[in-house]
Amino acid sequence: MSSLLLLNGSPRGTRSNSMKMLSRVGEGWVRGGGAEPEVLHLALERDRARAAEAFGAADTVVLGMPLYADSMPGLVMGFIETLAPFVGRGENPRLGFLVQSGFPEALHSRPLERYLAKFATRLGCEYAGTVVRPGGEVLQVMPDRANKKLWESLRSVGASLVVGAFDPVVLSRIAGKERLSPTMVRVMSLAEKAPVTEFYWNGLLKKNGAWDKRFDAPYASA
Amino acid sequence: MKITILNGEPDSASSFDAYVHEVATRMATSGHDVETIELRDLDIKGCSGCWGCWAKTPGECVKRDDTEQTCRAIVDSDLVVLASPMTMGFTSALLKRMADQMIPLVHPYGQIEGGEMHHRPRYEHYSLMGLLLGAGPDTDAEDIEITQKMWSRTARNLKTRLAFTSVSDRPAKEVAHEFATVA
Repeated sequence: MSSLLLLNGSPRGTRSNSMKMLSRVGEGWVRGGGAEPEVLHLALERDRARAAEAFGAADTVVLGMPLYADSMPGLVMGFIETLAPFVGRGENPRLGFLVQSGFPEALHSRPLERYLAKFATRLGCEYAGTVVRPGGEVLQVMPDRANKKLWESLRSVGASLVVGAFDPVVLSRIAGKERLSPTMVRVMSLAEKAPVTEFYWNGLLKKNGAWDKRFDAPYASA
Repeated sequence: MKITILNGEPDSASSFDAYVHEVATRMATSGHDVETIELRDLDIKGCSGCWGCWAKTPGECVKRDDTEQTCRAIVDSDLVVLASPMTMGFTSALLKRMADQMIPLVHPYGQIEGGEMHHRPRYEHYSLMGLLLGAGPDTDAEDIEITQKMWSRTARNLKTRLAFTSVSDRPAKEVAHEFATVA
């Protein structure tokens, strides 16, 4: 049976949205007839030390990450640098990715998706595709049962990986809105605020007793 | 003009590192106030996605490391040059770890810009940004384009823009002149 390695590139480690999504991809892989996947968290030093070796030994790898400052987290780029010796090795694993972001639109993650596709090609890996999911932070707030459709889509992506690449129809369903609709843009621009985002952050600020400091600008010149 | 170079070259003995310093020296010679920050010498703890800088100590990373210097550079310079060798088709992990910790410079709150959701500014002024890339033996035009695209979006979310991208195959003198005139 062919092996799957799930690499969690979230700096939050085990308690991350990326891991929540990756684990469903793994469930789908098992459902499709694949062997129980191995999971490594790049945020954990012990896992990070073995990640390159495990990458080289796996048949298929899915590397998941959050979008950080519009590209991969520094943690993930550090891992990518350690794969330089694998370029042109000839027996590299099939490689797919998962990118989740807090923005409501998928378009923010597309340049990173392009980079990852090129990175797979650079290594000489067969590229399985990239799962792009916006609105990721909602996963921390909402109970897991409220995201049943997303989990099922991710399982279906995992199952499709056993026989080939990610299914583009399912990928597009997971990605949702590529950009905001003209109506959404008008409503949000008029309000000059994004009410949903404000609600979430204001709640956190108040809970932390930091509400009065929310507009602090500590680096402003006097 | 105040120019800060954030040098993301991990290897102080590389030819690209010497090139970055030559560009800096030439800009200083033309009368600009140039500071080069060697990221390899800084204590950069790395963003762990805790949201502390947005919801606990607004505007500052809770880890209190040297990224305070690099954040300050963005709001008190006219131009910030991000310098890095190209490795595996992108800038160094060192540069990216630093950039991940720039999010305290903006609000978690969103606003619509050009039909897209972006972060709201925390400051009135953000420096222009430029990329100075050291091409590796396997770097091609597509790598440069993708790298530029990602950093342009980073700049946009930092309420500024990527004013130029330059690759190290050009003479330092020419590059220094161009950087200094763009801002």
